[in-house]
Amino acid sequence: MQAKFSVYRKEPGAHSKPGRSTYTVELADDATVMDALLKIRDEQDPTLGFRGSCLHGYCGDCTVRVNGKAAFSCTARVAPLAAKGGEIAVEPIRNMPVVKDLISDWDAFLWEKIDSTKPWMEPKDADGAAEPQIDDKLMARVRQAMSCNYCGLCDEGCTVLPVDFKFVGPAALTKASRFLFDPRDQATAERLRILERPKGMWDCVHCFEASEHCPREIAPTERIVEMRDEAFKRGITNEKVARHHLSFAASVKRSGWLDEGRLAIESEGLTNVSGLMKLLPTAAKAIARGKAPIPYLHPKRPGADRIARIIEKAEAKEK
Amino acid sequence: MKYAFYPGCVSKGGCPELYPSAVRVAAKLGIELEEMKDVACTGAGVLPQYISDPINARTFAKAERMGLPIMTICSTCQGVFGQANLRLQDAEYRARINREYLAEEGLEYKGTTEIKHLLWVVMEDYGADKLKAMVSKPLKGLKVSPFYGCFLRRPPEVVTPTKESNARKTYLEKLIDIVGAELTDISGKGKCCGFPVLTANEESSLGMTAKHTGEAKSKGADCMVTPCPLCHLSLDGNQPRAEQQEGKSIGLPILHMPQFLGLALGFSPAEMYLKRHIVSTMAVESKVNMMT
Ligand code: SF4
Ligand code: SF4
Ligand code: SF4
Repeated sequence: MQAKFSVYRKEPGAHSKPGRSTYTVELADDATVMDALLKIRDEQDPTLGFRGSCLHGYCGDCTVRVNGKAAFSCTARVAPLAAKGGEIAVEPIRNMPVVKDLISDWDAFLWEKIDSTKPWMEPKDADGAAEPQIDDKLMARVRQAMSCNYCGLCDEGCTVLPVDFKFVGPAALTKASRFLFDPRDQATAERLRILERPKGMWDCVHCFEASEHCPREIAPTERIVEMRDEAFKRGITNEKVARHHLSFAASVKRSGWLDEGRLAIESEGLTNVSGLMKLLPTAAKAIARGKAPIPYLHPKRPGADRIARIIEKAEAKEK
Repeated sequence: MKYAFYPGCVSKGGCPELYPSAVRVAAKLGIELEEMKDVACTGAGVLPQYISDPINARTFAKAERMGLPIMTICSTCQGVFGQANLRLQDAEYRARINREYLAEEGLEYKGTTEIKHLLWVVMEDYGADKLKAMVSKPLKGLKVSPFYGCFLRRPPEVVTPTKESNARKTYLEKLIDIVGAELTDISGKGKCCGFPVLTANEESSLGMTAKHTGEAKSKGADCMVTPCPLCHLSLDGNQPRAEQQEGKSIGLPILHMPQFLGLALGFSPAEMYLKRHIVSTMAVESKVNMMT
C-alpha cells in the first residue's frame, strides 16, 4: 500500500516557524503510523523527530494527533486512513510546548506537574514492622488510578489547559488521587492543601472531557470530583473556594434552593471591597434589566425543612 | 405529553428570562408541565455527592409518585440529575439512601424516574416533524452558533448510553435547521463555558467566555444559542468582563434555547424577554422583526 503523509515540523527554539513536510511511503498492509514514521526517518529524512518506546500501545510515549485525533502512533493503522485518500496529517498532541517536530516537552506538560503533587507515600506505619492488611474495596479506586500510563491524553483533551497552561491538569491530579486515597498513607491533610492551591484541583471545570479522552477508563474527572468531595468533608482550605461552597451549601440548607446574588457576594468575601466593586458594573446592568435576583430576599421553598434535615444528616454521617 | 417540571434555581434567579419563556414555549407546543415546587437545588456539582445524591433521590421519588418523567431546562441540572440517577440504579446504594434519608418522610425511590432536558423532550418525545410544523416564523438568514454545556454532551454513560441517543450530540444543530436558521459551527460548542471556575480562577473562566463567543463572532454568527443558563451567565453576563480582559470587543447576543425556539414559534422578542440580557440582542431582534 502507498500512503502520503503531511507531518508537522518545527526546529527547536522559541522563534522557529512551524511548517509541514510531505512524504510518500510504500508500506505493508498492516503497517502502523509508527512504522511509517520509522520508514520515513530511515529512508527519506533523517532529521524527522518523533518519540516512541514500548511500541506495543502501552507506554504512551508515541502519542500524536493523526488526522486531528489523538492516537498512539504504534497502534494506529495506516490502511483505513489511506483508504480515505488524501494526505494523512500527523501532528504533535495539543496543549504541550513542542521541542522539535513531533517531540513535545513532557517535563513542562506532565512530569513537573506530577512532581508538584507529592507523588510518593508517607506510610502510616513508617518502620514497616507489620505488613499492612487492607480491605480490597479500599484499594479498588487506588488501583484504578494506578493503571494510568501517563499517555497524557486526558491533558490533551482538557478544557482548561489551552486557556491556562499552568493548571496542574487531569493526569497529575489522577496521580495525586492515587496517593490521597491510599489507605496506607497518612499525609491526607497535607496532600489536600497542596491540591487546593491556585492552579490546582479547584481550577478544573469538571467537564468530563478528561474521562472521555482516557483510553484506560480511569475517569480522571471522577477522580477529581472525589478529591474535592474529600476536601469539602474535611474543610476546604482554599479560602475563596471555601466561601463559595459554604455559601452555596448554607443557602440550600436555609431555603432549599440557591440565592445566587448572595452567593456572588459571599464568594468574593464580605470584607473584600475591591472584589465586590468588580461585581458592581455587571450587577448594576443586571438589576436595571430586571435580570438580577435581589440578594438576601430569598424565599424559603416548601419542603425546605425536609431538605435541610437531609443535608444535616449527610454531613453528620460523613464527618 | 406531561412532565414534572424542574426549573432549577438559575431560571428563577440569575436568568429570570428563562423560566417564563420556557413555560410559554411548552404551552404553545401543548407540552403539559406540573412544576415541582417543594424540591431542592440539584447541588450543581458544587455540593458533594454525599449531600446531593440524597436530596436528588428525594426529588426523583417525588416525580415517581407523580407518575411523571422530569423535565429540566438547564444542562447542569440535567447532568447532575442524570449522574445521580445512574448511581441510584444500584439497588444496594438506592436502598441505603432510601433507608437513611427518605424513609423518615415516607418516601421511597424505586429507580424508575426518567429525566429529560427540554431540548431532548422536543427532539425525542415531541419529534422533529411535529416541531417543524409548528414553526410559524422561520428564522431565515439568522446565523446561529450552538453551545451545549458540558453536561448535555458528557459523560457518555449518562448522556448517550444507547446508540440512538448519540443523536443528542447534534440536537442543537438540528434545531437550528428546523427553525430555518443558518448554522455557524464553532469548535468549542461541546466545551465548557468557563462558569464553574469563576471563583477559583476568574482569568481562566473569562478566557473561555472570550474564546467561544469570539470564535462565533469572527465566523459571522448573529447569535449563539444554549440550553444551559449557567453557560448563559458565563457567555452573556460575563461577556463584557471577558472583552475587557482580552482587550477586544465581541458583542455576541446569547439566546436561551427556549427563547430561540419561541421566536420561531411566533413569539415576539419581548415575549421571550430578550431585553433582560446583558449583551444587547438588538441585532437579532431587528433581523427577526424584518422576517415575515
Ligand atoms: S474535567 Fe477538569 S481536568 Fe478534566 S478535562 Fe475537564 S477541566 Fe480538564
Ligand atoms: S489518566 Fe488516562 S488519559 Fe490520563 S495520562 Fe493516565 S492513562 Fe492517560
Ligand atoms: S458548560 Fe460550563 S456551566 Fe455549562 S454545563 Fe458545562 S461546566 Fe456547566
